[in-house]
Amino acid sequence: MTATIEAPVVEMPADAPPPKDSLRKRLHIPRFSVLFSVLWLVGLTTLTLLANYAPSVVQSIMYPYSTKIRANGKAAKYLAPNAQNWFGTGKSAEDIFSHCIYGAKVTLIIGVGATLVGLIVGGFIGIVSGYFRGWTDRISSIFTDCLLSIPPLLLALILILRLDDLKDVYSWLSWCTRTWQITLTLGLVAVAPFARIVRAQTLTLREREFVMAARSLGANRSRIIFRELLPNLVPAMLTVAFTGLGILIAAEAGLAFLGLGVESPHTWGKMIDIARDDIDKAWWATVFPCLMLFLTVLSFNLLGDELARRFDIREASV
Amino acid sequence: MSQTVNVTQAATREIAGPLLELTDVTTHFRTPRGMVRAVDGVSFTLDRGQSLGIVGESGSGKTILSRSIMGLLPTRGTERGGSIKFAGREVGNLGRKQMRTIWGKEMAMIFQDPMTSLNPLMKIGAQISEPLRIHLGMSHADAAATARRLLQDVRIPEPDRRLEQYPHELSGGMRQRVMIAIAMACGPTALFADEPTTALDVTVQAQILDLLGEQRRDRNMSLVLVTHDLGVVAGHTDEIAVMYGGKLVEKAPTRRLFAAMKMPYTEALLASIPKMADPSHTRLSVIGGRPPDLVHPPIGCRFAPRCPYAREKCQSDEPPLIATDDDPSHTFACWYPVGSPEYHESRERNAAKKVEAA
Repeated sequence: MTATIEAPVVEMPADAPPPKDSLRKRLHIPRFSVLFSVLWLVGLTTLTLLANYAPSVVQSIMYPYSTKIRANGKAAKYLAPNAQNWFGTGKSAEDIFSHCIYGAKVTLIIGVGATLVGLIVGGFIGIVSGYFRGWTDRISSIFTDCLLSIPPLLLALILILRLDDLKDVYSWLSWCTRTWQITLTLGLVAVAPFARIVRAQTLTLREREFVMAARSLGANRSRIIFRELLPNLVPAMLTVAFTGLGILIAAEAGLAFLGLGVESPHTWGKMIDIARDDIDKAWWATVFPCLMLFLTVLSFNLLGDELARRFDIREASV
Repeated sequence: MSQTVNVTQAATREIAGPLLELTDVTTHFRTPRGMVRAVDGVSFTLDRGQSLGIVGESGSGKTILSRSIMGLLPTRGTERGGSIKFAGREVGNLGRKQMRTIWGKEMAMIFQDPMTSLNPLMKIGAQISEPLRIHLGMSHADAAATARRLLQDVRIPEPDRRLEQYPHELSGGMRQRVMIAIAMACGPTALFADEPTTALDVTVQAQILDLLGEQRRDRNMSLVLVTHDLGVVAGHTDEIAVMYGGKLVEKAPTRRLFAAMKMPYTEALLASIPKMADPSHTRLSVIGGRPPDLVHPPIGCRFAPRCPYAREKCQSDEPPLIATDDDPSHTFACWYPVGSPEYHESRERNAAKKVEAA
């Protein structure tokens, strides 16, 4: 083995300059969609909290809830947008902008509440059926499949009407106001998709080597579920929660549009419902609440997408 | 270390007899294709402080065997038989709850891929000290101090900094060291390492194996090293067991196995290792054919279809595991073992008949 090996001479291509990061990346400014969503949601939440709990701070731009706008000495019904009433006025001479902000509170409470109900109940069902498998899984799968097979809006409609009746009959149900009814029913609608996604994630996670490694060190069931599985499920749950939030807010608006809304303050769906008949003469009374709804749902969806990208989760559909 | 460790270790270390005694262990899986006989009648013993290498190609049942001993197999669709005695106690049929008292404290396992066997969302320190707190009832401070010492034991530089890091901040070799530290945290009497170096590069591989050997001696621990690489076990175990098709086909002290193997399969395995003395571009000798189908294993000797020395008897009768004449610790399962007159004869005969193996 004395033969010398001659290395062939290979022309190395000149090094291409490394791609330069954009200015946005170098300054660590998040992409536009994220920036917009965060600003929109934070702004909306702050405004609605201030309007409801510290009205004096936002006095200069908003009217109290029951104020009727007056012009020329009489109630100004369907006043076009102007410097005082940015979004114009509505059917009963209310300021649309102020009402949009007051309504946001209920909308956000119902959206977040329903998502939490879905996340907690669905997450519990998902983890239990994914971890224990067998008959536990089969029974809970039948339950979630049943939920999924009913059209969600129909289910919510029937449940809310039924709860209304029950509330009249049983006094112990008196806490169940319309807000609670909608939150609970929409939460129930959200249970099945959450349970499915969490179950699927749990099934893959439980077979991962670190879970087996923990088991081989004598970790008990609750330890494996709470220390090994649950923290690893959080990214998926968070992503689905944000996407779900948008959908549930839209669903709430849908219910309000169908006449099952919260009476006071009016939510966006209810506002659209009231003003839609007069859309020909006063487009602003319908379009602006629609726009609020659209931008809010869009923001939650964009944030959900961004989280999915960050956590590298494949399109999780609700 | 705290007193509890000494108590549990003394309890298991003072009992006479081998630490691990397997008698006719079988592990079968029910599948739609039929019963997969992954481990089919394996018997051996392992003494305290000894190390055993289990070698075989993919699908020979070595991983399933080590997981059977650990009791880490899925319960559904699995049929287990035979007896597994650990420190004089039957552990083959213990439930999850009872196994939990053994896992970690008496038996521990290191897995193949250090990249996936650490929880990505827990700090190294928490992962090491958790078993200490659960099994040994240590306080947070004691556990943290022990974790730090364990990291030093496995030669991790800057242990204080590492305790606060997450797995993704460490290299593969470093993570396998952490896995070893976690496995040894509660002072197990037996450590199972399932291909601990397969995912690591060669220099790191040697370091990890040396570390395992060193820890075994220091802690008087038994070590079972499962691997497909004869080079890995060569310098690091006292004995080697060769598995083929779910069966133990040869077991001997390491030196003896390399010098005087009896089973043609072992011979073929050794022949397939490239040698330093060979000129470059020498073709590696390979074992023709494929590992046996474990749903319908061949009748007779399972290696017969690929064996260049096979005769009619090999295809009809299964050879028993017998000891060699001169060394009772060397057992093998072959009708015409390497070196016997029949062996040479059958080779010539097969060559004359142009019978190629498989």
